[in-house]
Amino acid sequence: MKQREKRLAAGNGFYVDDIQLPNMAHCIFVGSPYAHAKIKRIDASQALTVAGVLAVITGKEVVELMDPLPATSNYAAIGWHWRTPKAYPIAADKVRYQGEPVAVVVAEHLYIARDAAELIDIEYEPLPALSDLNEAMQSGSPLVYEEWGDNIQVHLDFNFGDVAAAFKEADRVIPVSWHEGRVSGFPIESRGCIASYDKTTEMLNMWSSTQAPFLGSQYISSALRLPRSKVRIVVADVGGAFGNKLNWWKDTVVGLASIITGRPVKWLETKREFFLTGAHNRDVTWDGEVAVKNDGTILGIKATFLKDLGVEGTNRGSGAMGMVPACCSIANAYQLKGAKIEAYGVVTNKAPYCAYRGYGKDKGVKFMERIVQALSRELDMAPEQIRLKNFIQPDQFPYKQISGYVYDSGNYPAVLRKALELGEVESWRKKQKEAWKEGKYIGVGMAFSVEPAGVAAPHCIYSGLTQARVSVTSDGVVEVESDQTEIGQGSDITRAKVVANVLGVKLDDIEVKRDTSDMPGSGVYSSRGAIYPTGAMIRAARELRARMIRFAGHFLDEDPAHVDIADSIFHSTRNPDKKMTLKELADSVYFRPGPRGLPHDMQAKHEVLLDVSASWFSPNTTQNPTSTYTTYCSGADIAVVEVDVETGAVSILKYAHVHDAGTLLDKDVVEGQIFGGIVQGIGEALSEELVYTRSGELLSNSYTDYVMPTAVDSPDIVIGHVETLSPFTELGQKGMGEAPIIASKAAVINAIEDALSPFKIRIPESPATKERVRKWILESQGG
Amino acid sequence: MKVPVETRVNNKPYKLEVEPRFTLLEILRDELKIKSVHRGCENGECGACTVLLNGKPVCSCLVLAPQVDGAKITTVEGLLKDGELHPLMMAFVENHAIQCGYCTPGVIMTAYYLLNNLTEFTDEEIRKGIEGNLCRCTGYVHIVKAIKAAKESKDSGNWW
Amino acid sequence: MRNLLGLKAIPEIEYHRPAELSEALKLLAELKQNYKIVAGGTDLVPAARRGGVLFPEQGHTIDISGIKELAYIIEDSGMVRIGAMTRVSDIGESAVVKKHVPILAEAADQLGSLQIRNLGTIGGNLCNASPAADTAPPLLVLDTRVNVKNIDGQRSVPLTEFFTGPGQTILTPSEILTEIQVPIPEANAGLCFVKLGRRNAFTLSVVSVATLVRLKDGTFDDVRIALGAVAPTPIRASKGEEYLTGKQTSEQTLDKGAKIVAGEVKPISDVRAGEDYRRDMSYILTKRAINLSVQRARG
Repeated sequence: MKQREKRLAAGNGFYVDDIQLPNMAHCIFVGSPYAHAKIKRIDASQALTVAGVLAVITGKEVVELMDPLPATSNYAAIGWHWRTPKAYPIAADKVRYQGEPVAVVVAEHLYIARDAAELIDIEYEPLPALSDLNEAMQSGSPLVYEEWGDNIQVHLDFNFGDVAAAFKEADRVIPVSWHEGRVSGFPIESRGCIASYDKTTEMLNMWSSTQAPFLGSQYISSALRLPRSKVRIVVADVGGAFGNKLNWWKDTVVGLASIITGRPVKWLETKREFFLTGAHNRDVTWDGEVAVKNDGTILGIKATFLKDLGVEGTNRGSGAMGMVPACCSIANAYQLKGAKIEAYGVVTNKAPYCAYRGYGKDKGVKFMERIVQALSRELDMAPEQIRLKNFIQPDQFPYKQISGYVYDSGNYPAVLRKALELGEVESWRKKQKEAWKEGKYIGVGMAFSVEPAGVAAPHCIYSGLTQARVSVTSDGVVEVESDQTEIGQGSDITRAKVVANVLGVKLDDIEVKRDTSDMPGSGVYSSRGAIYPTGAMIRAARELRARMIRFAGHFLDEDPAHVDIADSIFHSTRNPDKKMTLKELADSVYFRPGPRGLPHDMQAKHEVLLDVSASWFSPNTTQNPTSTYTTYCSGADIAVVEVDVETGAVSILKYAHVHDAGTLLDKDVVEGQIFGGIVQGIGEALSEELVYTRSGELLSNSYTDYVMPTAVDSPDIVIGHVETLSPFTELGQKGMGEAPIIASKAAVINAIEDALSPFKIRIPESPATKERVRKWILESQGG
Repeated sequence: MKVPVETRVNNKPYKLEVEPRFTLLEILRDELKIKSVHRGCENGECGACTVLLNGKPVCSCLVLAPQVDGAKITTVEGLLKDGELHPLMMAFVENHAIQCGYCTPGVIMTAYYLLNNLTEFTDEEIRKGIEGNLCRCTGYVHIVKAIKAAKESKDSGNWW
Repeated sequence: MRNLLGLKAIPEIEYHRPAELSEALKLLAELKQNYKIVAGGTDLVPAARRGGVLFPEQGHTIDISGIKELAYIIEDSGMVRIGAMTRVSDIGESAVVKKHVPILAEAADQLGSLQIRNLGTIGGNLCNASPAADTAPPLLVLDTRVNVKNIDGQRSVPLTEFFTGPGQTILTPSEILTEIQVPIPEANAGLCFVKLGRRNAFTLSVVSVATLVRLKDGTFDDVRIALGAVAPTPIRASKGEEYLTGKQTSEQTLDKGAKIVAGEVKPISDVRAGEDYRRDMSYILTKRAINLSVQRARG
């Protein structure tokens, strides 16, 4: 039980930086100081003379020895305006963002590599840099990719339902807009891996801090021109991921370094490197109008959606694809008649855009929750009343949203009402009125989020693959292999619990094996762990259980219909003396007597092993092809804040969250995810932002200037649960983990706006830093 | 150049020859193979490398190796008793305060100091005490809970 | 060329760790300018890794953290005397400081994080001379003097003359800061320290203010206002002080005085804050700090 946690509490980790291989070398990446520049000359000859330097890899070698980075998604195949650049992990002729790698130095020791890096002589010809999306969209602006002729990587038009009818029916059409600043996760452990190429077996073995080893091996083998089966990735302990470790473009070079030098090579990214070249997210702008009835019915939305993809969002990570769920999630929990969104993914000279918790669906939801806030003021209706009025009702599930997503189940009114209670909203609103009289500003904000989870999308690498293998060893231990990669979220605990429950085996008899690329599954992201991998494990475990019961019946000389298993003991339900342990069963099946002693029909079917592999695919997506996601959990957040109108500082006085993810697999694990996601959302709401100068220099390149919440900045949080089972999963469980980061950000922003109602401020963007809050207050006063 | 350093790490004496430009983090991890001390930011901004230096929590990434001459250093390995987890560690395990575990050793060392030194033990004091330990996974809620549970352990005599 | 991405290796350094001040002074005299002093390392090590601090050719590093005689907090003849090597955490926890110079303890407690405070020294905080140095504003309102020594002798410098620019002080090559002397203010002096950062803990100051107020018959008899992070150095707001001295402690005079302070600061815009906000917060925080000081002065 909790073996991983005990090991980590004792400091006994298996993180990438802990792994030592004989003869291991180290590599570092060298990055461009310019956001946009031609590389005129790169001369590593001096660096190569330093004792202990094994190799310097530049763009020249990379273009010769590697294929371009594969696209993680490519919708040009179905005629979308979707461009994928020819991208390499090290720039050859041009750099397109500050920090873009221009060389990798491999050396015996980290310090030797760092010292040698200073000796690489590079001549750049700076080009005008694009750091502003609007500028990038104008004709005549500098081009990130000359061959494109403009800077629009993606252009999509979404037309859901009947937007014309919606607007025709409207009593009012209200303009709405919302901008989210550029942010990302930046877990305490940066990205890293060890690559070890063996010439004899031609195997590239890797140890990686990654969320998806199978997808990683696919990606890396493609770039390195190796067969997929020749790249094997073992997942190390992962020190946090949140989507930021769902990319492998730098790992390809570490692999190349090992191939070139013939040595195992370790790479652990520095924090500044992570900020400069990392998986950026948000940085989106919505601008449009919403059609409503005077009674609060939300009819439809028309909007443009702009996303700053940085250097690109298709090859180094899957940032561009997130635009689809961003637009599809806009209706959130409500019965809209129609929505029309014109979406642009624009390239600029900023870091690559990849995945971060929320991924894409967060953006549409947050926009909608900001719209509800606006409507609450426009129509003078309490925000919860607007939600209750527009909610999809419990008896309408499964519900086909205008986007085509089929929401499996939910009880939104119950979740919201419980949150209102837990958040003591009524009482806080009374306090708010008193506070305003005293010149103090308290605000109550709320947000509701439907979280689509468990993606299976076409024309991309997130296609909905999973495999699980459940087996019993010859000495009676149940081994579980799956693609539900443990990245700190508690997957080891939940996997063990799920399998133990299905099999009737003690938790202590379960061994969840270290995740590797051996399982052809997509890994963990999109909150899919509880859905796809869990579904596969349950199917495999159920079949294994049936087989074990069969064998036990045979050995106990009892009709299998009267054999049960509990606490790792098989027993006859009608004769308690007839029993055997799991260990005894395993021994009997394997050796004494072995297959010779098994039932004849099992022998004839060749089913003589305690070993079953299975897959799983979403019944929702099968029945409803437009429903790219399987389950749709929901959450409601209440944030009560006090705003110091003189400094702009925001304190959180109360925070409540109610969550409905169907059957709860493990309360601690789920609550841990909720607490963590909420604090990340609060950080995005109040202080986190990746700030670029006009010339494309990233100013927020460390934990000092990318301001994340400390324990002091984080509130106490109360959680309530509702369990509305999903009809589409084996146990009624839903994927979860992202809703908390989505609604929290909107709830806090809404709360600030509510507190400042006397000033009639509409908050245009996040983060609502102290400086910005103060500025908005002064502006509202004509200052 | 190399500088001689005599230090006690987890109660074990060491006589080392160190390059002065290396930090305590690098000596502990890379030379002494004490891997609980984690590389987070190497800039004093995250606390993942926190160890006790003469009983006080410091970022080991900021201490130049020669500066520990004559000093006592404690890491989480030093809190184990014949491999048995310290009650503070058990409190973290039992209260689900460990998710990815990367900030954990650093938080535990700071918490150990706080539990032995804080006079006022309110939520506010605890949170202020761990302000220098960033965690991205837990939102700190279970961490504060675990530290309070550890206090109960300590008060009941289950401590070392 | 400098690798922007990663961390520089701290260069190979000639390292010295004198155990006594006299040894250190001799070294400083020999090496003239060719050295860097490291105490707690909390500023120097990150700066070296970033490339923000360059070690001179064959750079010498003088580590003074072993000089025990420089770490002390003493109450002596109406003064609190603090050795330059005293760790910030010791200042924050010191009964002497908390009793006699509470705003220095408060500032110390809000500097960085616990881990940083246990390493960083008051001498380092002052000599690093960041405009945002947290220990500076409280010391500046208290007639603090610092002792500066070289091998030939020592001189005493008022802290108000110590800082000459961002990262610059009056220290000449071969000089070292040894002691900080804070005259203990009388019991009815109203003291206040306020710090504002982008988050509420473990944060750099965006604006910090320290005030000292002495009252006489409901008027400001003596007003000192010091601010951090709003000028090239930590400063005293002399115009604001001049305005308030002798005036009634009314809402209007306070407001006007704080506005004058906001007019005399010279903030810059950077990723941490814009100059308008810093100016505005100079006004707001000065008002708050003086208000609190007045309340405390009244007892």
